[in-house]
Amino acid sequence: MDTPMELLRRIGMLMRRRRFDSEMEEELGLHLELREQEGREAGMGPGAARMAAYRRFGNPTAIKERSYRSWGWDWLESFFADVVYGMRSMMRSRALTAVALLSLGLGIGANTAIFSFLDALMLRALPVKAPSELVLLGVGQNIGITDSIASTDLYSYPFYRELQKRNRVFSETAAAFSMMNAVYGRVDGRRDAEAMNVQLVSGTYFPMLGVQAGMGRMLSDDDDRTEGDHPVAVVSDAWWTRALALDPGVLGKGVKLGDTMFTIVGVAPREFFGTKVGQAPDMWVPMSMVAKVPPHWGSYGGNFDEALYVMGRLKPGVTPAQAEADVNVLYRPIITGFGDANMNREKRAELDKAHINLTPLANGLSDLRGQYSQPLKMLMTLVGVVLLIACANIANLLLARSNARVREFAVRQALGARRSRLVRQLLTESMLLALVGGGLGIVFAMGADRVLLRMVSGGPETLPLDVSINLRLLGFTLVVTMVTAVLFGTLPALRATKLELTEALKDGRGTQQGPSKSLPARVLVVSQVVLSLVLLVGAGLFVRSLVNLTNVDTGFNTENVLLLKVDPSSAGYKDDDPVRLRGLYGEIEDRLNGLHGVSAASFSLFTFHEGSWNTGVQIAGSELGRGLNVKHNIIGAGYFKAMGIPLIAGRGFGPQDTATSQKVAVISERLAHTLFPDGNAIGHHYHIAGLTSPWEMEVIGIAKDVMFENLDEAPEVLDYISYAQRRQYLNDIEVRYTGDFKTMSAEVQQAIHSVDRELPITRVMSLDQQVALSVTQQRMVAQLSAFFGMLAVFLSCIGIYGLMSYMVSRRTNEIGIRMALGAARGDVRWLVMREIAWMVGVGVAIGVPMTLAGGRMVRTMLFGLKGTDMASLAGSVVVLLFVGLVAGYLPARKASRVEPMTALRYE
Amino acid sequence: MKRDEIPPGTLYLLILKTLALSGELHGFEIADSIQRASEEVLQVEEGSLYPALQRMLVKGWVTAEWGVTAGNRRARYYKLTAAGRKQLTLEMSQFQRVIGAISRVIQTA
Repeated sequence: MDTPMELLRRIGMLMRRRRFDSEMEEELGLHLELREQEGREAGMGPGAARMAAYRRFGNPTAIKERSYRSWGWDWLESFFADVVYGMRSMMRSRALTAVALLSLGLGIGANTAIFSFLDALMLRALPVKAPSELVLLGVGQNIGITDSIASTDLYSYPFYRELQKRNRVFSETAAAFSMMNAVYGRVDGRRDAEAMNVQLVSGTYFPMLGVQAGMGRMLSDDDDRTEGDHPVAVVSDAWWTRALALDPGVLGKGVKLGDTMFTIVGVAPREFFGTKVGQAPDMWVPMSMVAKVPPHWGSYGGNFDEALYVMGRLKPGVTPAQAEADVNVLYRPIITGFGDANMNREKRAELDKAHINLTPLANGLSDLRGQYSQPLKMLMTLVGVVLLIACANIANLLLARSNARVREFAVRQALGARRSRLVRQLLTESMLLALVGGGLGIVFAMGADRVLLRMVSGGPETLPLDVSINLRLLGFTLVVTMVTAVLFGTLPALRATKLELTEALKDGRGTQQGPSKSLPARVLVVSQVVLSLVLLVGAGLFVRSLVNLTNVDTGFNTENVLLLKVDPSSAGYKDDDPVRLRGLYGEIEDRLNGLHGVSAASFSLFTFHEGSWNTGVQIAGSELGRGLNVKHNIIGAGYFKAMGIPLIAGRGFGPQDTATSQKVAVISERLAHTLFPDGNAIGHHYHIAGLTSPWEMEVIGIAKDVMFENLDEAPEVLDYISYAQRRQYLNDIEVRYTGDFKTMSAEVQQAIHSVDRELPITRVMSLDQQVALSVTQQRMVAQLSAFFGMLAVFLSCIGIYGLMSYMVSRRTNEIGIRMALGAARGDVRWLVMREIAWMVGVGVAIGVPMTLAGGRMVRTMLFGLKGTDMASLAGSVVVLLFVGLVAGYLPARKASRVEPMTALRYE
Repeated sequence: MKRDEIPPGTLYLLILKTLALSGELHGFEIADSIQRASEEVLQVEEGSLYPALQRMLVKGWVTAEWGVTAGNRRARYYKLTAAGRKQLTLEMSQFQRVIGAISRVIQTA
């Protein structure tokens, strides 16, 4: 073993490699001369003395080499020699190298790209202190606000404070608002409001995470002890860069959110993006200011305004299981201890059923994770398979080439090269190929990441997800690259060096090229066919599933509707001043309806795929509807017309429905059937629970069932309430129009600004787009699996083409004889095509059962299909046969054009 | 005159000892002085001398420096280091142990 000093000396020698050589030469030369001189002094002639000196000394070059080897670097030297030789041989067969590098680059690139998403979304730890000690109460799947007695995902601020006081398992606890407030705020001194995402957090949030300010200070518990008196904000590094152009005077600057001027007291460190992956707040504001931040969701003091995630840092030595037990012991006493808990039997039962699961917070929370973890894992498998196919391809090409290099290896072995040395050289060449391919792959991946991010984001804004190349990713790619090199390099290397020397030296063309020689190549092609089939069928399933989704009848008319969002809360409208707010809604609706080409325009709380607000309903004195969770939408009078939702019975809202008149509702068909199974629902009453005082609604109309949140949901039970009767911030405007979208969009925005030019307008899009947005994930899966399927088929084609051309060229002799004996050109073509048909056939036979098994695994990701879809299967088989035959046609034609005489003279 | 080859494994020992006695020597002088010191019995196979010297450089037993010979020629001179001196004692005792053992075997026979 080397001591460190020895290693240093050895490395130093490597640096002085050239001087080493010349010095050795001089030293040995001196020795020889002195010896020669000695001879002459002893009376020899000059020639004889020289001869004697050499004889005694030996071969100076050999001695020099042995001296060099003393330094233990000879392996490095031969490695370099192999690399140089490998590069030369790569350059010699450029077409082959290009194909190999392209397939490798695509394969490795696809793997790296998908992995970077997997990494960003699921594997990377939060950039905070000891992230593995952090846990979340609940599973973090819910977002929003609830007043449920037994909410185990969302908690109120008083609950968080109680837990903080009474628990014995956390060294620190913190809370964060489950929703990010999208606010239009104004940087002090600027005229225009700008969009900013504000995250409300408890004062303990940053201390618990152990995040130190990049500049100024972070929030502390002192900012969060009393309500309303700490208008301070910490801004993100990204926002400081983007909105303030890295202004060094950022600290002390004001940002007005709603009516309140917040002072910037700190800038977060660059790498910190919060605790939710795929979401990047622009600023953090203490929970004590919750009431001041538009749109004024949630509260500081409400025991049952449950909108917070609660998290904690485990004390040293406390296991998550112990913490979970402790939290669950405290949970009920804290809830029932609230003065306004109003416990009754039902609530008691609900609370008794509730159990809080603790979730590790090391990788952060993510809304995307639930939606994308399964697709990403599936895609990771797909790209793995694509890479396997690429490897099979390269293995095949290398096999073909090593057959062409048979003579070279035979000569080298005859000259005494050991087999291990040749294998090493071939593996070095493979490694080289793989490394260049891996480099290409990283370049591809960087491009692909951007495309993928846009696909995942779906909408106009890209998600703040960091998928840039990082060390872990490079490590992953390197490992993948090495594995591929071993995968595709080993078989050809072992085969190439296993020779019967004399046969090979005769350039072994002709007779001994029996089927056994090309068996590995055939096996590789067949496995390519198998894998391609699996990928193709998968792609077929996902594409058909997407088509099924887009063909779903939404119940509303998605064409010719323009959607946009306004934000009255940021423009100074108060929801405790409903008259002014309704005035705004009405005036804008009137203005829009007056536009040429607009047939209907309306405000609403939701359109489609925007979440929901749901509560229980009930019919007085009846069990009907008990436990039924109804989704509510609050709308303007023109909503049904704008969305193209037909009314089946009764009427829509009109001017007669006012704040003081009888509360009325339009309900969906399904809700009508559920609540009033006896027939006509119109004129009947029901109660909406959960509002401050139960609302008694009179049904005035029945609307056709519509999809509300997603295309794959079962039709929902819905009711519609007029904004005239319920005060609420409404952000959505929908406009049914005729004519050009762009012109209309400009006119609509102008009309809105003519009512209030301070009203921020965002997310202008068509209803079609909004619906398409709801299947972003499914579309991404369909597009990517289709792309990978095609890539697989393409690679397999190259494989088939390569193998068949090679076989044809090896069999030129045989074909010539056949033709000389009278075989027709068609027969020869058939000879080749039969081979291909056979390989594809075997591949399909093996692939079909695998496909069926694979289909079962992705069943949950499909819509309107079972795991076994005959159409996808049959289609894929046809595609594979077709492209296989196309790929084989060229070599077959070449075979049939062989001139018998040329072929026979060949060798 | 017939000369004997150096027994395997003792070349380092001989070089180390020679350098310990003479201070700085170049390759040719080392070969010659081994031969002379052995009264012309041992002949260093010159082909092994230089690789061995390089190995000793790696080990840090000797250092090499360019100097000028009496005949005004540039030559590489080797010199023992502290580590080399330690190695010499080590190899000496090892050698004596082996020689002692061998001679005991021979004498009993």
